[in-house]
Amino acid sequence: MGPIIKLILLNVVTYLILKFVLPNVPGSAPLPASLIFLYLLLTTSGFLILATVSAESKEEFWGPIQRFLVGDGIGGLQALRWVVLILFPLLVGWQTYNSTAVSDAPPGENRTIHPAPPGEYAGLSNPVPKTPETIQQGKGFYAAFCSPCHGGNFDGKGSAARGFNPPPANFADPTTIAMLQESYLFWRIKKGGVGLPIEGMPWKSAMPRWELELPDEWIWKIIMGEYDGAHQSPRTWE
Amino acid sequence: MIRGLSRIVPNVVGGVCLAIGFLIVQPAAAEEKPKAEAPAETQASSAVSAPLVKGALPADDPTAAIWSSAPPATFPMSPQVHWPTRNLEATVKDMIVRGLHDGTNVAILLEYADPTEDPDDAAAVQFMVGDKKAHFAHGQPMAQVEGGPVNIWYWKNKDGKGVDMNAKGFGTLKIQDHQDVKAKGAYANGRWKVVFSRPLDTGHPEEDTLITTAGFINIGFAAWDGKKDPSSGELKEKGSQKAVSSWWYFRAEAPPNYTGYYYAAIAVGLALGFQFVLIRKLKKGQSA
Repeated sequence: MGPIIKLILLNVVTYLILKFVLPNVPGSAPLPASLIFLYLLLTTSGFLILATVSAESKEEFWGPIQRFLVGDGIGGLQALRWVVLILFPLLVGWQTYNSTAVSDAPPGENRTIHPAPPGEYAGLSNPVPKTPETIQQGKGFYAAFCSPCHGGNFDGKGSAARGFNPPPANFADPTTIAMLQESYLFWRIKKGGVGLPIEGMPWKSAMPRWELELPDEWIWKIIMGEYDGAHQSPRTWE
Repeated sequence: MIRGLSRIVPNVVGGVCLAIGFLIVQPAAAEEKPKAEAPAETQASSAVSAPLVKGALPADDPTAAIWSSAPPATFPMSPQVHWPTRNLEATVKDMIVRGLHDGTNVAILLEYADPTEDPDDAAAVQFMVGDKKAHFAHGQPMAQVEGGPVNIWYWKNKDGKGVDMNAKGFGTLKIQDHQDVKAKGAYANGRWKVVFSRPLDTGHPEEDTLITTAGFINIGFAAWDGKKDPSSGELKEKGSQKAVSSWWYFRAEAPPNYTGYYYAAIAVGLALGFQFVLIRKLKKGQSA
């Protein structure tokens, strides 16, 4: 087997392992395309060093490439040579066009959904005793103030939700309030969308600043009602 | 010495050639990524793209035939719940938006369903002004981010004209000294069509949003159903009680740009030249 075939095979095998085998190893994750490319480049560089270590191995590796490019004594490969010589400039042109073309897509947005709360909210605990009565009161407040957007079923699908981007949080989703502490919800309800830090894109959030309309005690009760209604529990440090 | 060099040079050139090949293939593979990371929200539209028209802009004609040449974008609407006095239900559920520009002026057409034509029916378009971000609800002050003002173009059926305004939070709405916005509405078959128009650049960058062909800007929409309650005589929607949209994107399309083709042609020429020189060198090396 010629060294060029070996190099191609090595790259194909490396690619297949990185792309399809490695992500299935427990504790691993799919590799980004740029990283796979870097590994392939390393594989090729290593192979090139090995292939040029002696004059004979160098000739064995580069000789066929040179003969192919020059077109001397390659017989039936002459047609393939012309295909390569025509395709290569076209590929370069295509890539250049793609990299200079103006994008038609609006700017992408990387919004942090749960940004860090201000320090004074960390570790606050719910001062309202958790009883069936207080939970029921909380659910009543939720129905009056929160359900129009967050939904009577705590699923973020209230009748007023349709126009808002980002959409109102779905509390039944295990990646929302189940991941958060009660103190985090207290901050978000009290200060609303306009209270978010810049990474949370406060200019897009419709969440009201409830501190202007509801007493703290009602907010704490709403939090209890939300967890109970959505069948979730707050995150704790234990 | 020279002999050694002449042996190494083709190898280096060959290596470079292979590396270039890799570099060409790699961005092609990377292009898959943005598609996979696209937002999960199934939004009908996220941007209004206003094509450049040759000839007259339908600045005061919401029913002009040329509007059909502008691609429609549909945005969902919600009642205004962010700030009291809020409303929990609004008449307008979807806003269909089209835009056109002629290089000097821009025209934006809003189209929406409203079962009744009332004197107090009204609609508005909202933009951010300058570089600062503004909250979509009238540029409400934000706790941790210094926000900028919003520029609001407002139309009311009974007034029959456009009003150019600014706000930086609810209760701060101010009519500008210089009025640059025109507006005209037409009601038919249970639907309003309202066209707003304005110069792309008004020369007042502190108050007015500057529209260029350079890229996307933020845009929002509002509509008021001016129907009166038959018993109380109260307006169904007024002031902060209205249908609103979130921030979306708007752009005035640039004239067709062919520079990408020029660059591609130059790249093809360079690659051909590279091949030619490379093969010539290799041939010389062989015969030597």
